[in-house]
Amino acid sequence: MTALLRYQTAILLRSHRWIFPLIAYGLLIAVGAAGSTSLAETLDWTGAMLVPVVAFLTRGMLTAEPDAARACVCAAAGPVRAQLATLIVPLGAGAVLAVAATVFDVLTAEAAAKAPVSGLPGKVTAAADHPGIVLAGLLIALVCLLVGSAVGALCNPPLLRHPAAAMLSTLAAIILALAAGVSPASAAISHSTAQSASPLAANWPGAGPLIGAACLVVVTWAVSVIAGSRRDTWSVSSS
Amino acid sequence: MRLDAVGKRYGIRQPWVVRGVTAELPAGRLIRVSGRNGSGKSTLLRVVAGVSLPSAGKVTGRPHTGYVPERFPGGLPFSGREYLLHLARVHGLRGDEARRRVGQWLERLGAAGYADQSLRTMSKGMCQKMAIAQALLPSPGLLILDEAWTGLDQAARAELDAAVGERVAAGGTVLFVDHDQARLAGREDERWNFDTAGGVTVLAGPAPQAAPQAERVTIRLETTSAADVIGRVRAIDGVRVISVDVEGRQDS
Repeated sequence: MTALLRYQTAILLRSHRWIFPLIAYGLLIAVGAAGSTSLAETLDWTGAMLVPVVAFLTRGMLTAEPDAARACVCAAAGPVRAQLATLIVPLGAGAVLAVAATVFDVLTAEAAAKAPVSGLPGKVTAAADHPGIVLAGLLIALVCLLVGSAVGALCNPPLLRHPAAAMLSTLAAIILALAAGVSPASAAISHSTAQSASPLAANWPGAGPLIGAACLVVVTWAVSVIAGSRRDTWSVSSS
Repeated sequence: MRLDAVGKRYGIRQPWVVRGVTAELPAGRLIRVSGRNGSGKSTLLRVVAGVSLPSAGKVTGRPHTGYVPERFPGGLPFSGREYLLHLARVHGLRGDEARRRVGQWLERLGAAGYADQSLRTMSKGMCQKMAIAQALLPSPGLLILDEAWTGLDQAARAELDAAVGERVAAGGTVLFVDHDQARLAGREDERWNFDTAGGVTVLAGPAPQAAPQAERVTIRLETTSAADVIGRVRAIDGVRVISVDVEGRQDS
């Protein structure tokens, strides 16, 4: 499995399929940082924007490997593990982005302190005084990572193979995941913002969204893995 | 290794591409799979290789597998050597051993000088060599070759023939498809022939060597009862001329 993850990571890095999601995410969190008033609110936004980023990273990886090359890997390691590695790598890349964005938020957002704080050391100290805020932000990011991965797995090859249909349904599913109340990502953020009476309170996503997101990922990954090991040709297109 | 009533179709409403294939794949066998274009050969090879699961039946006891697809268009963002190193690791080889085997197979297939080129700019033949090298790297117990010789130069074709011989001699099973009937002719232990319905007939031994085609072939028959034999020979399709030569006439 390590070899497969290494191989898929190399494909992600060398094919430059990370550039578009990285730039998009950078722009989105910059916009969020400009419009937010508290650290907790900024972290909500940073988490939410992981949904489209991880969905498109997942799409990028599911369309990166030509069919013949995938077949060779499947013979060597089995189609189930090959497909799992393809899904794990973009989720991992999203987690790296989430951690980087959280650090960025702590350093740039309005500090979680009673009195105004200036300077980076002061902001870091203020965040360290309120670890709940950062931890809650990371949990929201986790929910959104899982939902983004589920969207990417569900709306792309091998389940949806037509490039236009896959692209449009990925977009539609992202909007749904962020706007519809039933979506764990949307539930986590609305649960979080509902608590924001004070800018010093941690905005927890709640257990429901976490469990929901985990279930969603298990189901969509399972369907994608089953489809990947039964179908053996799917269209290869650029993301 | 064994196939039990293996069938494959690409969807519930799709027709069966392969159906009801039951066969043993004993160690140390060379098996030729033949059939017309579209008869299901590649699909069966993919199922045997474990690239895709069968829709019916089951495949059991598959050893470590190397698979060479019929077309290997490259397309990955690696050089040939980097690709082979990744695949060596996926096959379970480690560090120096992986590097050593990659070097060895690049050398054998005559690709060492091109190995640092990107897979995206490689010629068809060179890509094919990468596909063959990745399958042979782990000395697999099961080697599946889907028209693997296509696009190779003479030296690489001979090297692949030799590699197939080595695998079989080492107790491996090799399944191959090739439209050139002379490919490994006389060395097959079994032939799997596809019929039009996706079924497979397993025949033992190599294909019989066809009689050479010629402008005129003269066959000599000797008999003492000419009238009877001539009558029967005349009834055979394809006989053009019968000439009778009588020696030692016995007059009563």
